[in-house]
Amino acid sequence: MTSLVPLDLLALSAALLGIGLFGILTRRNFILLLISIEIAMNAAILNFVIFGALSGGPGGVSGSAIAVVLVGLAATEVAVGLAIVLALNRLRGSINVAESATLRL
Amino acid sequence: MILEQVAFASLAAVAVVTALLALLVRELVHTILWIAVFFVDLAAIYFLLSAPFLGVLQLGVYAGAVTILLLFGVMVTRKRIFSREAVTGIGPSSLALAALVVILLVAAATVVPNTEVPVRAYDVTLLSTTLFNQDGSWLLLLGLTMLGALAGAIYLVREGRE
Repeated sequence: MTSLVPLDLLALSAALLGIGLFGILTRRNFILLLISIEIAMNAAILNFVIFGALSGGPGGVSGSAIAVVLVGLAATEVAVGLAIVLALNRLRGSINVAESATLRL
Repeated sequence: MILEQVAFASLAAVAVVTALLALLVRELVHTILWIAVFFVDLAAIYFLLSAPFLGVLQLGVYAGAVTILLLFGVMVTRKRIFSREAVTGIGPSSLALAALVVILLVAAATVVPNTEVPVRAYDVTLLSTTLFNQDGSWLLLLGLTMLGALAGAIYLVREGRE
């Protein structure tokens, strides 16, 4: 049976959220922005899996169930984000978010 | 067990390093390759956490679909795939804010025990009955959200509007 230290697991998830937040704040390319959001989202999903695995048994299954739904939502979000990227690229010729002050196409 | 601690420590180190590299390299295609490694590494962590179904889902959805979607986005928006990003400043204020968030989260996480806790596996049958109980309302909602998002995405990229 696997045994792990919960604090280490939560520290990893906090570090990933910090990296994602840093990317969201500094990157100006829309695709890099989407990737940063994905890193932060993965940190959140990892948290659900961690607490599900630590509580174990029937109660722990709900953590994984929420994680399944979240993975689907994150994939949907990337699809919509890339649609926005394609629209921005076609209409503005650039996917730099600093140059697109408004999203009105 | 010391072996599992070592395995988790190395997987966590790879996750943090690949996530940082993905944001710091200047070629956009290299970013996506690093983020693919990050997704596969997270899948390995899910396997270590006795959640193999989530691990397979992570491999299929993230390492597979999302990576291909991102590559497709780069391919369409660039004249040449290997073109470098302009250097953007790191920005001390954003770095400080991210560091503050991490410190606060780790400080808040110290309420959990700092000792080894057994990670118990669950029956995947239990997961499916949890997802599909009450007529599968969660998956139904997820499917409706995906349908709405797909319609919105098609609206955004449709031809004939300038």
